[in-house]
Order: sequence, then C-alpha cells, then structure tokens
Amino acid sequence: MQIAYYPGCSLHASSQLYDIQCRKVFRQLGIELKEIEDWNCCGATSAGKTDYFLSVALPARNLGIADSSGLSEMLIPCSSCYNRTLVSQKILSENHELKNRINTELSSKVEGKVKISSILDILVSRADSGEIAEKVTKKLEGLKPACYYGCLLTRFPADIKISDDVENPRGMEVVCKALGAEPLDWSYKTDCCGASAAVNDTETSLSLMAGILKDAVARGADCLVTTCPMCQMNMDAYQDRVCDMYGITTKLPVFFITELMGIAMGFTPEELEIDRHFVDCLGLLKGLKLV
Amino acid sequence: MSLSVVQVDYKLSRSLIREVMDRSGQNLLACYQCRRCAAGCPVGDETGVTPDRLIRTIIFGDREKALSNLLVWKCVACYTCGSRCPNNIQTARINEALKEMGKEDHVEPLLPAVAAFHDNFMRSASHFGRINEIEFMGLYELQNTKREIKKGGGWKVVAGALKSSARLAVSMMKKKRLHFRLNRIRNLSEIKRLFRKAGNGPGG
Repeated sequence: MQIAYYPGCSLHASSQLYDIQCRKVFRQLGIELKEIEDWNCCGATSAGKTDYFLSVALPARNLGIADSSGLSEMLIPCSSCYNRTLVSQKILSENHELKNRINTELSSKVEGKVKISSILDILVSRADSGEIAEKVTKKLEGLKPACYYGCLLTRFPADIKISDDVENPRGMEVVCKALGAEPLDWSYKTDCCGASAAVNDTETSLSLMAGILKDAVARGADCLVTTCPMCQMNMDAYQDRVCDMYGITTKLPVFFITELMGIAMGFTPEELEIDRHFVDCLGLLKGLKLV
Repeated sequence: MSLSVVQVDYKLSRSLIREVMDRSGQNLLACYQCRRCAAGCPVGDETGVTPDRLIRTIIFGDREKALSNLLVWKCVACYTCGSRCPNNIQTARINEALKEMGKEDHVEPLLPAVAAFHDNFMRSASHFGRINEIEFMGLYELQNTKREIKKGGGWKVVAGALKSSARLAVSMMKKKRLHFRLNRIRNLSEIKRLFRKAGNGPGG
C-alpha cells in the first residue's frame, strides 16, 4: 500500500538518518511512503511564537498538496511537524473564513480530508495486528528501553483527541514489545527536553534533560527510544554536557524507534546509519549480540 | 489596621482581557485558579510566574507585567498546562499572543536570544520555503553578536555565546549531521505570498 509522506525539514537535514530508516522500515512492512510534492516548512513552534496566521497557513499549504495527492493518509514522523499540521487541520475545519483566506493563496486548496498519522499511529496498529512480529528476524532480547514521547506527540495547543493516553501513553511500549525488547515503566516519558531552548536558553534545557536522563538511568534503562527528531538531537547531542553538569555517570544511547525496528528486522547498522549518533549505540547492541 | 487589597482599574483590565482573549482564542475568564497548570509547568520553578499567575495578571489589567515576564519568554511550548486545564485554557497560546502584542508595543524581549531564535527561524523559512539549518543558525548567531556588541558586552560575551554553538556545529559535522546542500522549494512565490499576508512576521 501507498501512503503520503511529509518528512519535514529536519529529516532532510540533521536527522536525515530518520528519513532513511523510515523508508526502509515501512517498505519492509509493505508500506510505500510517497513524499508529497514540493512541501514546505511547517513553521514548527517558531511560527506559533511569532505569527498566528503563518502557524496555520504554512502547514495548510502542505495539507492542500496532500489532499490533492489522492492518497487518504499521510505519515508525519517528526512530532513537531505532526503536531502543527494536525492543529492547522483542526483550526481550518472550524474556521471557514480563515480557510478561505488561506485557500485563495494556494494552488492546491485545503479540503481537510487527508488523515494525518504519527509514526506511532501506524506502527501500533501493525504491532496489534501481528505484522511487526512477523517481520522480526532478530528479537531485541535483553534491551531495556525507556520510551520517551516528549511533548508534541500527545499534547496539542488545541482540543485534539488522540488514541493513546495523554499522561501515560503506551504505544511505543507496544511496538518495543513486538520487537522483543523489555520497555521499562518510568516517570519522565512525556516530560519536555526544552526543544529549541537547548540553543537559545541552554541552562533551562540542560536542567530539563537532566531530570529525564536521571530517571531513565535510575529505572535501569539501557537506552532511550524516541520518535521525535528534536528530542533525539537534544538528548543525544547535549548528553555529555548534561552528564558533566549534573554528575550523571551512565550514558544512554538515544534511538529512533525506526532503529530498533530496523535492527529487529535484520538491517545492518550501516544500512540504518546508526553511526551518526553522538552517544555510541553500537557498544550496547554488540554487547547484547543484536548486531 | 489596614488590609492589603488588590487595586484593579476595571476599564484597563477589561480591554486587556478582551484583547488577549481575541488574539489567543482562550477563555481566560474560565480560570478558577486550581493551579493544575502550575503543578505541571516545567519552567514554573525558574520563572516564578506560572500560567495561573499570568492569567491573574491579565485579569488585573497589568499590561506591563503581562507583556514582560519570564514565563512568556521561558515557556518551552510543551502544552502541559493546556492538556491538564479542566477548563481547556491553553496558556501556551496566551504566551504566543502576548509575545505578538509585546512586539507591536515595542517591548524589549526579556530573553532576546529566544526572540532572535524564532524570528530567524521564520526568516530562514521565508527565504527558501524550507529551513536550512546552517543559514538559520548563522542568522541567529549574527543577530546575537550584533546585539551583544551594541550592548557593550564586548567580544568576550560574544565569543562565549559563539563557542557554545561552534561546539555543537563541530560535533554535528563529525557525526555527519550537518547538511550542506540547499533545501529549497519550487513554488517559492506561494510561500512569499503567505508571508506577505502575515500579521507581523518577517516580510509582513
């Protein structure tokens, strides 16, 4: 089957490995990701913080392109892009005046019919149906991930209902279990890493990341797993600084969910480009004889 | 014996409440100060201003404090406050509205680096329709540098700030996470049109 695909800017830049992994893993599940034509930046949190109109209009252009693609569902792996696009669709379904105002500028008009799916929406349904377990060639035995959801996968600045629990989501655990891993229960799964504050208000962000990392380590996790490129980049690239500053002695690899899927499906670390992490991942995988 | 009472100018407070409600789409008057938002706010300890306090400030009509307080600038947009509010008030949306209002009123941002980050992110998006991380970070650091020099902070401050970004850039390059090819969309004129229609963003 074919579904529409919106990678967003970070999957075409600093988190390109996530894009590569998504395509490989989804193909293995029998899903071809069809990147929508000429998509633009969704505006992320910055649009919301600078201009309300753009925070709706930028994702709207992508929604229009997706609506005209003829495909009924669109995967958005980045939590921020997913959040902003879903919020834009919701706002436009309620505000027809704004929708008309935006549509007059667009060559592909927003109709509002495409279903926006997060990566977990799709993976959890495939785990429930047994399709993921079927594709597993190497069970991730012994791996104890702390599933880190972050903010934007479950919380929205609008009244949007999701299928998972907002305070204690468990979808990622379902997927990890289907891969044979043993995800742990912990308290910081939906806490904020600070997102862009890592750059513009670093101390604040480092203290938030320290809380997350400390709890994961205390619970006995051997890695973090996430679906959000912002969370991944922050927890990975800043982990040395967090550990130095807060006296944390254990380092945790920060995986994308697609990396665990890929390894379990028999892809090599080279095929998944796992060497592009800041905190070493291969040591853990080799230690558990998973690669 | 004297009791301390809160002085409220109802005329001022009514117009401020109306403006924030219109811009944010949030019903501030539904807030009954239960402070579930405060309990979940990740920056509340640091700012001393929690979402409930901010709403109270607006209801009291204190425009100056509402437009210039640490919560507006330190809010990480995690949306915990909104998801826990029993009355469905999204304080993050209120913060966003206050930021726009502050800009229009020419109020100096309390954390200029935060303002520079988001402004330049949007500037970069307006140039090519997609974010080019190197261009964006360059624009951002340039603005920070200019501001520090103007403030008289001198090269030491500038060097300190640049060092942090350079450190990230170098480790990103080592890990092949810096992207050098230009990301650009074909129908850029459509994006430019949307930016022109915007209220106050770059190109607006």
